[in-house]
Amino acid sequence: MEIFGIPLLTSMILVPLIGAVITLFMGGSKSKYAVWVASLFSAVTFALACYLLTIDTRTYADLTESYNWIRAAGLVINASFAFDGISALMVFLTGLLVFVVVIFSSGEKDRPNYFFSLLLAMEVGLMGVYLSSDYFLFYIMWEVTLIPMFFMISWYGGPRRHYSAIKFFIYTHVASLIMLIGIFIMVFTAAGTNAIDFSFNAVHKGLAGQDEIFQTLVFGLMFFGFIVKMPIVPLHTWLPDAHVEAPTAGSVLLAGVMLKMGSYGIVRICLWNFKLGAQAWQWIMIALGIISMIYGAYACIAQNDLKKMVAYSSISHMGMVLLGIGCLSEIGIQFAVFQMFAHGLITAVLFMVCGLAGHNIGTREIPLLGGLAGKLPMWSFFMMFGFMASLGLPGLVGFVAEFFILYAFWEFIANTQYMWMIVFGMISMMLTAGYYIWAMQRTLFGDLTDKINLDHVHDINRAEFFALAIMVIMIAFFGIMPSYATQFIDVSAVLVGGL
Amino acid sequence: MLEYAYLIPLVPAICFVIVGLFGKKTPEGGGYIAILGSIISCILSIAVSYEYLTGKLYSTGRSFEMSVEWLTVAGFKINFGIYVDILSCAMMFFASLISMLIFIYSLGYMKGEGERKRRYYAEVSLFLTGMLGLVVSSNFLEMFIFWEIMGLCSYLLIGFWSFDNPDAQQKSSAAKKAFLVTRLGDVCLMGGLFILLYVFHTLDYTAIFGRRFFSDSIFYLGKMSINHYLLFIALFLILGGAVGKSAQFPLHDWLPDAMAGPTTVSALIHAATMVKAGVYLLARTSPLFIICHRGNMALIIVAGIGAITAFFAATMALNNMNIKKVLAYSTLSQLGYMFLGLGTGSFLIWYGFYTISFGVLGLGAIVYFAAVFHMFNHAFFKALLFLGSGSVIHSCGTEDMRLMGGLVKKMRTTAVTMLVGALSISGFPLLSGFWSKDMILEAALVTGEYLYYVFTIFYILGMAAAFMTAFYMFRMWFMTFSGEPRENAQHCHGESPSVMTFPLYILAAFAMFSGVVVIYALDSVWQTWFGTNDILEIVLTSKWTPISVMVALVGIFVADLMYRMRVVNPGWFNRNGKGIIYRILADRYHIPQLYDYISWKIGYGVACIVDYFDRNVVDGVVNGLSNVVIGNADVAKKMETGYVRDYTLLVAVGVFVLVLTLFAVVKGVI
Repeated sequence: MEIFGIPLLTSMILVPLIGAVITLFMGGSKSKYAVWVASLFSAVTFALACYLLTIDTRTYADLTESYNWIRAAGLVINASFAFDGISALMVFLTGLLVFVVVIFSSGEKDRPNYFFSLLLAMEVGLMGVYLSSDYFLFYIMWEVTLIPMFFMISWYGGPRRHYSAIKFFIYTHVASLIMLIGIFIMVFTAAGTNAIDFSFNAVHKGLAGQDEIFQTLVFGLMFFGFIVKMPIVPLHTWLPDAHVEAPTAGSVLLAGVMLKMGSYGIVRICLWNFKLGAQAWQWIMIALGIISMIYGAYACIAQNDLKKMVAYSSISHMGMVLLGIGCLSEIGIQFAVFQMFAHGLITAVLFMVCGLAGHNIGTREIPLLGGLAGKLPMWSFFMMFGFMASLGLPGLVGFVAEFFILYAFWEFIANTQYMWMIVFGMISMMLTAGYYIWAMQRTLFGDLTDKINLDHVHDINRAEFFALAIMVIMIAFFGIMPSYATQFIDVSAVLVGGL
Repeated sequence: MLEYAYLIPLVPAICFVIVGLFGKKTPEGGGYIAILGSIISCILSIAVSYEYLTGKLYSTGRSFEMSVEWLTVAGFKINFGIYVDILSCAMMFFASLISMLIFIYSLGYMKGEGERKRRYYAEVSLFLTGMLGLVVSSNFLEMFIFWEIMGLCSYLLIGFWSFDNPDAQQKSSAAKKAFLVTRLGDVCLMGGLFILLYVFHTLDYTAIFGRRFFSDSIFYLGKMSINHYLLFIALFLILGGAVGKSAQFPLHDWLPDAMAGPTTVSALIHAATMVKAGVYLLARTSPLFIICHRGNMALIIVAGIGAITAFFAATMALNNMNIKKVLAYSTLSQLGYMFLGLGTGSFLIWYGFYTISFGVLGLGAIVYFAAVFHMFNHAFFKALLFLGSGSVIHSCGTEDMRLMGGLVKKMRTTAVTMLVGALSISGFPLLSGFWSKDMILEAALVTGEYLYYVFTIFYILGMAAAFMTAFYMFRMWFMTFSGEPRENAQHCHGESPSVMTFPLYILAAFAMFSGVVVIYALDSVWQTWFGTNDILEIVLTSKWTPISVMVALVGIFVADLMYRMRVVNPGWFNRNGKGIIYRILADRYHIPQLYDYISWKIGYGVACIVDYFDRNVVDGVVNGLSNVVIGNADVAKKMETGYVRDYTLLVAVGVFVLVLTLFAVVKGVI
């Protein structure tokens, strides 16, 4: 399918790439127009992403695009793109969040041309990860997302930005190297004596009939790379540090879409290729998911920094995604993907609100805040909405995902001796409600704080309001009408289901 | 008309959006819009109820159901729709009528709130949406969504004054407690829903209970082959949800604290919405309790929780000085009666169903009706009492009864209407509370006598609670309205405006007559179905009815002696506030401390350990690893000295080792 003569999926990557290059060179006096260019290009990308959602799911195979890239020494590497139900929601989410974040950060004064260029470069990498159907391209795009994020943190971050940026980079990079070993083993084994083809489908065909030991081993290598990205306890410590130091826009993209690369990889690569391996790892996935959920929630209770609390809540919610995947049932995977989508929407609001606390109030330390609901009504509304959505309030998007993931888990353990384990799901929901409500009580309600100077405190501006309002509408819409999102996932659930 | 029932919750929802967005630009902060919405809802509910009750569906014992597909999940469908039967008719009738009256009353009560009125009217509209949505929803998941929306609204409204207010700290803490304690129940209920979905593969009422109601649905369900072990667990989880929402022991403690909100909100929570949802849930799911093989166990626990709460909450009301808190404890106590009634009634039906004795089954159905009927009556007299107390507070500016007194002269309407409410809740003959309470208690007695002795204990607890109810209600009335005016009462503003007294008249009329009307209506229905008039017979000809009446009258008389005639000095009983029992009651049996202790230890204590572990162990390993790498690099770095002589030495050593090795290989040593 083409749009203005350019194949559709290619244009999803080309448009932000061109935007990134143009904004990069808008230094000096032109830098104040960088935001306009960036919003134009991100808006076009978002429009294309929306258009992709309108395509009939049965014709997804027609969207595949492939270009010869490297043909040497028996290697067959293509720049090939494909699109299906799982990608659909992630691509939509990426397009939406980058657009919203550009609007949200339109007031950026510090080297805006680099700032927006980095945002668009990140979009290139993210779109690449979600659209590529070739392991070589997939890995390159996976690494491409790292670099702009690294500079985002180390240029625009808080006081400990260098430590966090390097920790983020090395931690996730080591993990992706382990994943790379997995990719090599997969690709070379699949090729056998034939030409070494890196494309998803060729590898999938080549791997058919591999025994359980091989599958378990390679699943493990890939899985390690992916859960560091998600991140799953105990491989999570880079995340709170990165979030605390990252600028708001970086945090939103990091938590909103970059973490999903990990769970996307598990569904797309691990589950699809290694059905026996998945069964061997099933209880480990479930255990890690549950540990992340409860450990993350507990860590939230103890945090004093609002943003760090939200970062830990991401760990908790991504644990739920892993739990859903670990059930290895159609419903579990379907709603794990939906939870990825839901968490992306909700966490964007949360990080924007936390960023505004740092920017408009001057501190994110919960003990210094208090009674702000009367002083900052709009900010308080969005914070409350975000917190309520995140704790799984019915009628909002998070509830649907949580309810059915826990149901999938229940379906898996019902009538076995592990039935009692559903209690873990309930404990995590209870703790989630606990830390959000308690944080709200300490920041928004109670007596007005006298620990900080309130003279310069101001409510949100128009651009920020617009950005937050879009997210709020999305959260409410997909909460009331979840079938508009789940209809895409049906296709993919059939793809990987029936294990 | 029936197919428009979805408008009943939708209209207040639209009002919520309109008031929320544009409330500032409309008069009274959108108050008139909210009232209009509630009036439309009320008219619609009456019209829908009328059409259903006079229509063919009702006369053939069927319920009305209409739904659309909401979500398709691997293998099963989740629907969204409306479900109307006699239970939802009763619920939506009182919920919408009372909410409408409370909204009108709010025009006067919230007059001075300025900017905040928009938030108030938006939130109460959403609250009404939650309740009406709950009662007309056609499956458990949909019900659960509205159930949680109500939880959210109660959180927001209890915390209405949780900022920019001198008492903000305490009020926000009350709101937090309400949300978290009910959330504990909600989480249990969610677990129950998982089991139901797993067992039945659907959550639709029509698919689970069949299209006909109650007695038929038991036989319909009884024929299904289902996993009774799982169902039994589900029953306890559902019960947990109902206990949390309806504030029964041991999750009751949020309700007295919930008095932090405006009095109108208290009236809304106690009479029309929120706490009634738990009772509704039990009434709705009672066929599941009945058909479960071990359901009798669960039902005895339901009745037991009810009886214990009825007794135990009433004791705490005995010495409370806050007019709203007394009413809050009385709500707990009355909800306990409803649980007792539902438990007893369903237990009888369970017994009748398993022994195939239709007499017991019929009696159980009557008791079940009585419990729902008590909820209906309680809605009216409790709304009346709360709005009356709101009128007093509005006029006197305090909630402490020690500062009131003698208000009967200044606030005649409020005093008279509240007297009706107090008589009704005490079980004064022929007023509405009398009928239902008497039926519930007598059923417990009969069950205890013939089937299972525990119910006799429940009866005794219930009777003791009935005595205390009469006592503390009249203690409240006498302390507020009779005697000499004390401090605040001396300069009270007099009677409230007519926008506040008009709802009181209507509610007083219901508190007086709803019992008689409903009981005769029920009896006629019963007669058409079974050809006997059991209900009237049970209530009027039982030898135990006079005892109930006596207990109520003695309670009123004792209160009269102590607080109006002042013949007996109340200080004599409590050693002027120093008695041990008095202290325990005033400290609410130390249950709030228990809550705090648990949440502080299990919540914050563990969290601190996790946080420490996270920073020092998990992250410590990561930083330790990187330090090891850096340390090794430092060691390796030292070899790069930059001097040619060092490199030459290294090369020489290398060559020597290489030659030696080669030599060894050639000689065959290695």
